[in-house]
Amino acid sequence: MPVISVEDVSKRFKIPHVRRATILDHLAGVLSVLDGRTYTYEEFWALREVSFKLEHGESLGIIGPNGSGKSTLLKLIAHVMRPDSGRIKVDGSTAAVLELGIGFHDDLTVKENAVVYGVIMGLPRSEMRKRTDSILDFAGLTRFQDAKLKSLSSGMVVRLAFSIAIQTEADIFLVDEALAVGDMEFRQKCLDKFREFENIGKSIVLVSHSMDLVKSFCEKTLYLVNGEPRAFGPSAEVTRRYIDDMSGLVSIKQS
Amino acid sequence: MPETVRHYLDVIAVLAQKDFKLRYRNSVLGFLWSLLNPLAYMVILTLVFSFLLRVGIPNFPAWLLVGLLVWRFFDVGTTQGLMVIVSNPALVTKVYLPRHIIVLSNSAANLLGASLEFVALLPLLVLLGVNLTAYVLILPVILISEFLIIFGLSLSLSALNVRYRDFYQLWEIALQLGFFLSPIFYDVSLIPERFRSLYSLNPVAALIESTRSMFLGHELPSLSTTVVVTASVAICLVTGLFVFRRLEARFAEEL
Repeated sequence: MPVISVEDVSKRFKIPHVRRATILDHLAGVLSVLDGRTYTYEEFWALREVSFKLEHGESLGIIGPNGSGKSTLLKLIAHVMRPDSGRIKVDGSTAAVLELGIGFHDDLTVKENAVVYGVIMGLPRSEMRKRTDSILDFAGLTRFQDAKLKSLSSGMVVRLAFSIAIQTEADIFLVDEALAVGDMEFRQKCLDKFREFENIGKSIVLVSHSMDLVKSFCEKTLYLVNGEPRAFGPSAEVTRRYIDDMSGLVSIKQS
Repeated sequence: MPETVRHYLDVIAVLAQKDFKLRYRNSVLGFLWSLLNPLAYMVILTLVFSFLLRVGIPNFPAWLLVGLLVWRFFDVGTTQGLMVIVSNPALVTKVYLPRHIIVLSNSAANLLGASLEFVALLPLLVLLGVNLTAYVLILPVILISEFLIIFGLSLSLSALNVRYRDFYQLWEIALQLGFFLSPIFYDVSLIPERFRSLYSLNPVAALIESTRSMFLGHELPSLSTTVVVTASVAICLVTGLFVFRRLEARFAEEL
């Protein structure tokens, strides 16, 4: 059984021309139907008939230009959104690093925030209490453990969040561009940690604009354009195709 | 799956703890405000009603305080519950958690707050001349019933508030109405006979009556109030779960 199998998955967003956020807006909408105008929306297919299978022990890179549906696909795999059609099967537990520091609050201390986020990410509370020290050490924030989060710099907050996120004991990590954080030293520490995951057979699904990163971590790559799969296969080939497409675009513009 | 159940219970505990801590953070008096608020109401209403209007209710201040505490739990619990999904978008859109538990943990934090308020003000009730009897042991049952009603209502309200942000304003007005439609500063006997059966369907009225009979009347809550409370718990929970389930699928897109 593949670790992730995605079959004919489509996701459609309806974007109303006027967002109806209040009851009055909806009443106005109903009334406007009565005098001939209809409720209109822009239909937008974020994903259209995407299929692929990822085997155990493999990692997947998802690449493509902005607005091609990469993050939507990640959210569907993470079960945060549901597809309009098609099926997604995931064999194992997932940890979604779609955003860092979910549940963080400025007025809680560094330590308190660490526990909240760690537990949301799936670590047991008892385990989290034991691990806080080593997490803060990894983030280089031991000195500030009792400071309120709002007194940290934004770089420190991201480091804290990332250090917690990678403690999660899931079979599959879903990571959205979150690597572009911290200074080079911290970035390297994170990459080492990812390498460690892969070595013990865990899967990483990485949405990234960095072809180097995708090539070095992922066996397979999915290349999306406007929600449709353009290519799926070994990372070296697929990333080359993407680079060719992009440089083609650039040369057309230049000529 | 005991592993996921353990995870969800941990998340509930952590989020409830967080809500509870944040309620009192950044203020000098902290938890004292929770006591000062009902006390201030008690003093003001006692001045108005027992001196100016001369209401003939024995031990009016204590009688009032009990009503105020029950009301306050409902007021704060549902107001916060209504906002809890809208104010925690990352918990919905960036990580997969059963969304009920976000609402549940907020209601649980309020149950803890209300319980502490009752405990902290017990000495004052004694000082005001209330004889504490074994009937006080029913208090947890009443508080848990109120918690379940608040949880059920919060499920409906928080889900509807994602779709229509008007619900915050609507509920605020409903609560103001509710304050006057509950026997907080007047006795049920003031309600004209022909309206009384309709009036007593109000679950908050039933909760207040039950709490008073326990503290001041030294008797078990009457059968009719018990029936109203039990039915309200069932109705609020069932409709809450139904409404929440219907609307939940689109949360991630509407936040």
